[in-house]
Amino acid sequence: MSDKVLEMYNLNKVYGEGDTKVHALQDVSITVNKGEFLLIVGSSGSGKSTLLNMIGLLDRPTSGKILIDGTNTTTLNDGKISSFRNHKLGFIFQFFNLLADLTVLENVMLPRQIQGTNASASKDAKELLKIVGLEDQMYKQANKISGGQAQRAAIARGLVNHPTIVLADEPTGNLDSVSAQKIVQLMKSMAKKLGQTFIVVTHDRHQFGDVDRVITIKDGRAFEGQESTRLEAVA
Amino acid sequence: MDYRLQLAKRMLFNKRGSLVGAVLAVTIGILVIHVNFVIFQGLFDAIVRDLTDYRFGNLQITDEEDYIDKSDQSLVNWFERIPYVEAATPRLSSTASINITKFGERIEETRVPIVGVDPLRDIRASTVHNTIAEGQFVYSRNSIVLGSNVAQDLGGAKVGDSVKLKIVDRYGQEQLKRFIVTGIAKSPGGQGFDYSVVVHIDTLRDLMDRDGYTGSIMVKLNDPTKATEVKDLFLRTFPNEDFIAETIEEAAEEQLAGFRSGIAMINMIGYFGMMSSAFAIVTIQMMLVNGKTKEIGIMRAIGAKRRDILIIFLFQGIIIGAIGATVGTAAGLGYTIYAKETKMSFNNSLPLEVSIQWDKVIQTALISFSLAIIASLYPSYRATKLLPVEAMRNV
Repeated sequence: MSDKVLEMYNLNKVYGEGDTKVHALQDVSITVNKGEFLLIVGSSGSGKSTLLNMIGLLDRPTSGKILIDGTNTTTLNDGKISSFRNHKLGFIFQFFNLLADLTVLENVMLPRQIQGTNASASKDAKELLKIVGLEDQMYKQANKISGGQAQRAAIARGLVNHPTIVLADEPTGNLDSVSAQKIVQLMKSMAKKLGQTFIVVTHDRHQFGDVDRVITIKDGRAFEGQESTRLEAVA
Repeated sequence: MDYRLQLAKRMLFNKRGSLVGAVLAVTIGILVIHVNFVIFQGLFDAIVRDLTDYRFGNLQITDEEDYIDKSDQSLVNWFERIPYVEAATPRLSSTASINITKFGERIEETRVPIVGVDPLRDIRASTVHNTIAEGQFVYSRNSIVLGSNVAQDLGGAKVGDSVKLKIVDRYGQEQLKRFIVTGIAKSPGGQGFDYSVVVHIDTLRDLMDRDGYTGSIMVKLNDPTKATEVKDLFLRTFPNEDFIAETIEEAAEEQLAGFRSGIAMINMIGYFGMMSSAFAIVTIQMMLVNGKTKEIGIMRAIGAKRRDILIIFLFQGIIIGAIGATVGTAAGLGYTIYAKETKMSFNNSLPLEVSIQWDKVIQTALISFSLAIIASLYPSYRATKLLPVEAMRNV
C-alpha cells in the first residue's frame, strides 16, 4: 500500500473574473506521506490558507486534482465530501472553533457522533483529553476555558476520529508565546506518538523548530527544499 | 440522546429570549383560538341551549298541514314511554293584537306572537317558566304572561294589569278576550318569550277555534345524543301521518345558519392569527440561524452533512412547537375553565355555554405544533445552504 496520504496535482484556484481575477493558487502540486509533519509557511495573503481549505475540502479548486488516501476528492458530491471530511480529516483552527453550547468533552466527541460511532466516542474522547491534559476540564462549557486549553481541546477533537491527516490553520496564532509553545510541542508529540500526519499552516515558521518538511507559498505558488529555504530567509 | 437533538436543545435554551419569543408566538396563537372558541362557540351553544330549552326541545314535531290534529295527549304519552325522553309538551302559536288601557289611554300592539302552553306539562319539558322575572307562569285559562318587550311596548304593563287580546280565528272572525297579566318574562340573551305573549293552550285553541289542534310537540330528552334515534323511531311509528320531526339543529337551522358562518369566519381569523405566529417563528428562527452561522460552519467542517444541519434546526422547531403547544393549550384550558367556573356571560347577559371539546383542543395543539415545524423548514433549509468556509469567517 502506498504511503502517500495526500496528492495534489496542478491545483489552481481563481477568484473573480476579468480584471478582478485573482490567482490564489497556481499549479500547486504537493505529495504528503503518512506520518509527516509538514509546515506550510508564507506571508499574509500568499495563499496558504486557501491551500489548506482545498486540502480540507472546505473549498473546491478551479482546476487540478486532490487525492486523499488514493481517493480523488474533486469528483465527490457534497454529502460524500462531508463524510470524507469527517472520516479522513481532523481540523485545528486559529480561533479554536469549539461550540460554546457544548462542554469540552461533548466538543471532542462531536466528530465521532457525526460519524455515528457513539458507543466508544465518550471513552476515546476522555482518553484524548487526558493526553492533552484536560481531564479536569472536560465537563466545563467550552467557552469557560482559556485559549490554550481550548486549543488543546481542539487538538483532541481533531484526533478523535483517527483522521488520515490533521490540518491546522495558524494553531498558535491566537495564543500567547508560552501557550503557543505548549501547543506546538503537543502537536509534535501527538504526531510522533500516533504516527499522525500533520499539515500546519503558519506565518511563524521558527515557532515549530525542526519539522519533516516545509513548503513555502508565495503568490499562490508552492516552493520546497532550497528554494523554500531561500524564500524563508528573504521573508 | 441524539447529538443533533442535544445540540438543538442547547442552542435554543442558551438563547432564552428567542426561545421565549417563539414559544409565546405559538402560545398566543393557541390562546386566540381557545378564547375565540370560549366566546363564540360558547355563545352559539348558549343560543342552541336556550332555543332547546325555551322553544324547540331536543326534538320538535310539527305537521306538514300547519297543525297536528292527532291528540296531543296520545303523542305526549307515546314519547314519554321512551326511556331517552324526559318530557314532552304541546304548543300552539299564532299572532294577535293586544291592547291595554292605562290612565285613560288605550295602547295597542299588533302582530304580537302568541304561544299557547300546557302549564303542567310545559314546566317539565321546557325551562321557559324560569324566565319569569315578575309574577308567575301561566296557571289558569285567563292568565297571560307578557314578554318584557311587549310589556314595555304596552306602556310598562305590570302583573295584575288587565289586557285585551284580539285574534282572528280559522273562519276569519275576530275573537276578543280579556286576560289578567300574571307574569312578565325576560330571558338573558333574549331567546325566550321576551317578544311574545304566553297563554294557556286550551284558551288559544278556543280563540282560534281549533279545538284539539296542536302546533308542535316539544320533546325534551335526557340524552340529547339520542335525538336522531328517537326521531327515526317516531317517524317509523307514524308512517301514514304527515308529521315532520326535526332535531334542534334542523328546527333552528334558520336562526343558527348565520351564526355558524360567523363562527367559521371568527375561527378563520383565529387560524390567521396562528399563521402570524408561524411567521414570527420563521423570523425568530432566522435570527437563531444567523446567530449560529459560525457554529454551522464548524459543524460542516468537521463532517456534518446538510441533512444533519437541517435536522438540528428542525428539532428546534419541534421543541418550540412542543413547548408552545403545551403552554398554549394549558393557558387555553385555564381560560376555558375560568370561563366555565365563573359562568362567564356575553354582554353581561347571556351565560355562555362553555365546554371543553377535547377533539378541538387536540386538533388546535396539533395544528400549532405542525405549523411551528413547517415554519422552521425555511430557516433550517437556509442553514444547510451555508458554505463551511464562508460560515466560519462569521464572528
